[in-house]
Amino acid sequence: MSGPINVRELAPGTPIVLVDGARAEIVDNPGDGVWLFARYLTSPRDPALVGQEGMVFAQDVAALGDPTAG
Amino acid sequence: MAMKASRGYRTGLVDLQAGEISREIFVNEDIYAEEQERIFARAWLHVGHESQIPNPGDYFVSSMGEESVILCRDRTGRIHVFLNSCRHRGMKVCRYDEGTASVFTCPYHGWSFGTDGRLVGVPYFREAYHSRLDKEKWGLIEVAQLANYKGSIWATWDPVAPSFTEYLGGFTRYLDLQLDGWDGREAQAEVLCGVQKWLVPCNWKFPAENFSGDTYHNISHRSVDLAGIGPSGAGRRDMGERDVSRKLHVCIPDRGHQTILYVLPADRLPPPAYMNAPIVAEYFRHCEEEKRRRRGDEARLVGAPGEIFPNTALLSRQPRTMAGWHPRGPHQTECWRWYFVDREAPTEVKQFLRDYYIRYSGPAGMTEQDDMENWNYAHAASRGTIARRHPYNYDQGSGTAVTDYAYQGLRVPGEVIDLTEVQSSEQPMRNFYRRWAEFMEAGDWSQLATWRASERKAAE
Repeated sequence: MSGPINVRELAPGTPIVLVDGARAEIVDNPGDGVWLFARYLTSPRDPALVGQEGMVFAQDVAALGDPTAG
Repeated sequence: MAMKASRGYRTGLVDLQAGEISREIFVNEDIYAEEQERIFARAWLHVGHESQIPNPGDYFVSSMGEESVILCRDRTGRIHVFLNSCRHRGMKVCRYDEGTASVFTCPYHGWSFGTDGRLVGVPYFREAYHSRLDKEKWGLIEVAQLANYKGSIWATWDPVAPSFTEYLGGFTRYLDLQLDGWDGREAQAEVLCGVQKWLVPCNWKFPAENFSGDTYHNISHRSVDLAGIGPSGAGRRDMGERDVSRKLHVCIPDRGHQTILYVLPADRLPPPAYMNAPIVAEYFRHCEEEKRRRRGDEARLVGAPGEIFPNTALLSRQPRTMAGWHPRGPHQTECWRWYFVDREAPTEVKQFLRDYYIRYSGPAGMTEQDDMENWNYAHAASRGTIARRHPYNYDQGSGTAVTDYAYQGLRVPGEVIDLTEVQSSEQPMRNFYRRWAEFMEAGDWSQLATWRASERKAAE
């Protein structure tokens, strides 16, 4: 298992994997260590989110990942 | 406790007929608690200046009474003032003094608010709240009214308070001296550098009454006058206007605002100033000529220390600053001082003024230190059981104000005492505490807007 991710360091464009299995790409980082703005690339639980931008809670970020994978 | 059961200026604590004010209003914790509700939750309060937040996302954390507020500009450029407290458990959502942010995030549980105050991020919104939390209902608490007056930002928590300009009444012309350009153009001021903040162990009303126009305490500044920190190498400031003008106390009755004011003769520009810096001296000489051309007789008004009720001090001449006296308990005040220049002034002028301003004002300013020492020890010496039994004296110049003052064709509205010969009066302090007592007694703004009844009567 990888260590905790410092979300403050994640730049726009960084691909992330969320705890529910969704994949997203960061579009903005307010730098507060709590939230990221991201665009959903996949979302097995709620496909309606794909293509939408939303706020992602830091504790929902499971890993950094390749957005083209999966 | 020496406080009488009844309160108010008619019944004991503030007795303007006798020229006496009880020390209790400065040191009593119950009275202090009432002030927060009756004064700071109802009056218009100065929050900051738009030049502190020029771009979308910019914020400046300010204070209204005891409470922390965020002055910010949202993504569309609109200015807001919010209570700096998360709606979930009250944690401060912004713990910096100033900066730029896209959201204000509570570090406690992570609720996050946009710069327009809307609740935009709730951790586990779907999972724990089952998407049922009404985010529209739980945004940051915004002030009831906000006013941008020539770039200065003011706010009140009271939705039925009068508009800010009505609150100011005839005092607008003196706030204009602070915010308009030295050359008479409107709204030219910008805040120079940051805001200085420091604590003084005294009640907030000590600095408020001092800046209302206390000319009696000049002896306190004797040493700094002797040191000659002024921008022409003598005194603490250029005071040439004092030699040629009428020096006045001007009070706006019913509002609680008051100031010292100099009125130049009809045919005189202010005497030369800033003689230690030829570029600065020439800049001001040019500005004074332009102001006389643009404003005519109004340019004869030269500003000096004044106070907008309850806790904002003005000083439009030298050094050009505004101050806030934020209550931090009955025995402590957090002083904030903003420094102003004309935004289009040459860099050399701004730099010279910055050096002079901080030499004079603020926690390290040689003049302000004199004042702080007075407030500190006066407050400490008024807290004891015996001391509280004995009121302060505010009798100086009682009954000598006029309401039809004019000098060489220029009328000055309000209650005026010409100080040119008498040197000093305590009319400004009486005006301040009369208003203080009205706020402490009145149930709501229908009683506080005392001027409306007389205006209605005059209109009939």
